[in-house]
Amino acid sequence: MKFFRTANSIVVFIIILVFIILLGYSIFGSKEAPKPSPLIGKEAPDFTLNLFDGTDLTLSELKGKTVLVNFWASWCMPCRQEAQALENSWQRYKDEDVVFIGVNVWDDSSNARNYMNNFGGAYPHGTDPEEEIQVDYGVGGVPETYFIDSSGFVRDKFTGPLTEQIIDYFVTRAKEDRDNNIEDENKL
Amino acid sequence: MGRLSLLFLTLAILGCLISVEPSHSQEKTIDDQVNEISNSLLCPVCQGQSVAESNSNLANDMRQVIRKKLQEGQSRDEVVAYFVDTYGETILGAPPAKGVNWILWILPGLAIVFGIFGIGIFLYQAGSNKEEKSIGTEKNTPQSDSEYLEKIDEELKNDS
Repeated sequence: MKFFRTANSIVVFIIILVFIILLGYSIFGSKEAPKPSPLIGKEAPDFTLNLFDGTDLTLSELKGKTVLVNFWASWCMPCRQEAQALENSWQRYKDEDVVFIGVNVWDDSSNARNYMNNFGGAYPHGTDPEEEIQVDYGVGGVPETYFIDSSGFVRDKFTGPLTEQIIDYFVTRAKEDRDNNIEDENKL
Repeated sequence: MGRLSLLFLTLAILGCLISVEPSHSQEKTIDDQVNEISNSLLCPVCQGQSVAESNSNLANDMRQVIRKKLQEGQSRDEVVAYFVDTYGETILGAPPAKGVNWILWILPGLAIVFGIFGIGIFLYQAGSNKEEKSIGTEKNTPQSDSEYLEKIDEELKNDS
């Protein structure tokens, strides 16, 4: 009888202990904010796009430039919302070694062309016939935008419609990296 | 003799099936692997659906990528690692048994063991309490009552 009373106390003690450990972990555990994408800080997956003007564009050939990769679709309303901001920003950055690329996904090509005629398509837009780019980049929906620094590393990811201010913020961050890299190379 | 010929016939048929099957079974194996991996990954844009269950565009693309990578000769672990690198560990249907995650794996087992233990203790205690109560009620049996009544009667007689 005494044994069972002791065992009973031990069981209750263990349950309370496990509860306290879990509670402690939830309060004081990993405080690191979740990254918007595991790709951030890693080398950007390379891709070759079939552009709507009939040419091809390969990401790895753009090393040394800051690259903005925007995933969009013609049926996506937030993409229409951000289209003007992307066009305006591109006009400002096109002479600063910043490249904008539009990746059309989950779409019909004629709808995509109509979209570009209506909402601008001054910078290169294209599709991946293999439909792999979006998986390589971990795209969950559109619009999603990746900012790649001049070394070819993913610097940031933004989900949702962009504004000119947001584009400026992330492009500046990606360019800062490039400037830092150039400084580091000069020091060496 | 009849049994022996039947055995040979069965073996011959099996042999033919095995010799015909390889290319088909290899294809089926890739299908099975695609299904198995798709089932172990959660669709990032769906609620509570695996990549195998979802009809979303992204899930279709993911299944295609899985197939392509398997056909290129990548192992199951390599394909899963690719998706973890791209989408993070949240894409896994079951959390990997490492770090704090191990608690999630052992907690259900512990809960069952302690639950059974607790029920056992409860039942044992309930049984022993019943015994104690029954011992207590035995003292109040008609026999013991009659002894008291007899004493009361005697005392009443003495008083009178």
